[in-house]
Amino acid sequence: MSDLIGYLLTGLGIGAGFALVASGLVAIYRVTRVVNFAQGAFAVLAAMLTASLLGAGVPHGIAELGGVGLGAVTGLLVGLVAIGKPGTSPGTSLIVTLGLGVLAYAIEILIWGDQPRSFPGVPGVAEMGGARLQAHYLLIIAVTAPVFAVMAWFFARTDLGKALSACASNRYAAQVVGIDVRRMGLLAFAIGGALGGLAGVLTTPVQQVTFDSDVALIVNGFAGAVLGGLTRPGVALAAGLLLGVAQTLVAGYGGGAYQVEVALVLMLTVMIVQAARTGPVAEAAR
Amino acid sequence: MRRWGLIGLAGVLLVVPPLLPERHLATFVLLTLAAAVTVGVSLLMGYAGQVSLGQASFYAIGAYAAGLLAVHGTPPLLGLLAAPVIAAVAAVLLGAPLLRLRGHHLAFATLAVQLILLSLLAQADWAGGAIGLQGIPRFSVGGLELRDDLGYAYLACAVLLIALLISRNVVVSRAGRGLRAAATSEVAAAASGVPVGGYRLAVFALSAAFAGLAGGVYAFFLGYLAPGSFPVLLSIEYVVMAVVGGLGTIAGPVVGATVIVLLVQVLNTLGTQPGMPDYAPTVLNYAVYALLLVVCVLFLPKGLVPAVTRRLRG
Repeated sequence: MSDLIGYLLTGLGIGAGFALVASGLVAIYRVTRVVNFAQGAFAVLAAMLTASLLGAGVPHGIAELGGVGLGAVTGLLVGLVAIGKPGTSPGTSLIVTLGLGVLAYAIEILIWGDQPRSFPGVPGVAEMGGARLQAHYLLIIAVTAPVFAVMAWFFARTDLGKALSACASNRYAAQVVGIDVRRMGLLAFAIGGALGGLAGVLTTPVQQVTFDSDVALIVNGFAGAVLGGLTRPGVALAAGLLLGVAQTLVAGYGGGAYQVEVALVLMLTVMIVQAARTGPVAEAAR
Repeated sequence: MRRWGLIGLAGVLLVVPPLLPERHLATFVLLTLAAAVTVGVSLLMGYAGQVSLGQASFYAIGAYAAGLLAVHGTPPLLGLLAAPVIAAVAAVLLGAPLLRLRGHHLAFATLAVQLILLSLLAQADWAGGAIGLQGIPRFSVGGLELRDDLGYAYLACAVLLIALLISRNVVVSRAGRGLRAAATSEVAAAASGVPVGGYRLAVFALSAAFAGLAGGVYAFFLGYLAPGSFPVLLSIEYVVMAVVGGLGTIAGPVVGATVIVLLVQVLNTLGTQPGMPDYAPTVLNYAVYALLLVVCVLFLPKGLVPAVTRRLRG
């Protein structure tokens, strides 16, 4: 029983990372219809910068903020290249973000080398319900929950958030009422970058980060996002958490080696079922 | 590419290998194999409108199929012939459910399939696991064994020419026209009686067969296979080659693969000069792939070959 609670909490901590990446993908996709392949790179860049800042003696908190800031700035830059040129189709933008994700590898190796990096998080071991787990997992959960609350408030209550949601539901109508759709797209990229950065900064103390850890993040994030049809942040959050929990349970009770397969097969199944339900015609007509 | 183009290329491929210094022959073999895989990717992306980010899976499946068969005593020729068949069968089995997906969903699905394959290969002890499959014999037909790189260069050339010939015939066929129609508008094509689903699956399997055949040659050429030889980045490289050369052209894949492999070769030479940091080649490689992909997609969306032919025709 205590094992189960431990796995659940660890899974929620790992899942929070996936959920943040997933909601970054959703934020960008809703506004721009671009699936951002560079989403994982935001997390890696943010984690690397934070590790360097902490190494240079910058106190905790400020270093992490710096990482998230870098994520947001990178998001903005990726957005500028991906959707900045007028007439770029979402398919083209997808290939562009893929290219930028690879470019990030070059930059990361150039600055930080190709060795895994990590930095200390909340030290110690926490006991909950008889289960022992690294205390840092509790911090991940404690930070992610309010972030999602703020996001929900931002999209529902502020003018800017409403403008973003307007672009998401109907680009043409949004344009007609005077919303700058391109600027909203760039804002979405910056928000996506910050969310990705936060994922990297939060999870690095419990999972080392290397320049190519973005592949696992983006695939798990996409798996989470796809459950919500890439447009519903709430579902993406739930799916990301579920994915994290499922993976820790598989690793804990079954073969640890097969947790990658679990997430991926789950994602494939959901996508195929969704495609069978909506059908290719609906997608082509959109 | 018209018939003369193919014959010309065959001539070039016949003449070039013996002229190359021994140390460049391995690059030539890998370039030619990459071009053969890219022919399939170009067919898939340019004519069937599908982005596959997992083409290296089929390269790996072909390589492992040929390698395993040969290790267990099957004559190498049979192993090499089985490679494209097994890759195509795998493509049909995977494609039947996956090809319901479109656009970015398909891109992610193919990426996911490759990650699953890599993870499974790394755990499969019967295939050498993470350490890899060792002791693959050299390629031989009858009693004739292919020992030096020159022989493999010609073998790779043959694979490329077969891939080009088949895809040229597919493109000009009725099925090819149907595919092009489906790439522009699936609904319209289906309404005019094109069996879109069947054609998509057929092209997927055909491109997998090209990759599988090339993978088979790769297995005999290196004599050693490991999951790490088929990273996701390799799949992305094929997409870059196809996009840079020009999607939907026959010459595109050859030009794209040549330009990129040579460029990477030059940069590697540059990166391993004394005084350069030891991470320089890797960084340069990543940067080149990334920048070429982004610049081409944004500013040369049709690729090099159409841009150049348009310039030549004035």
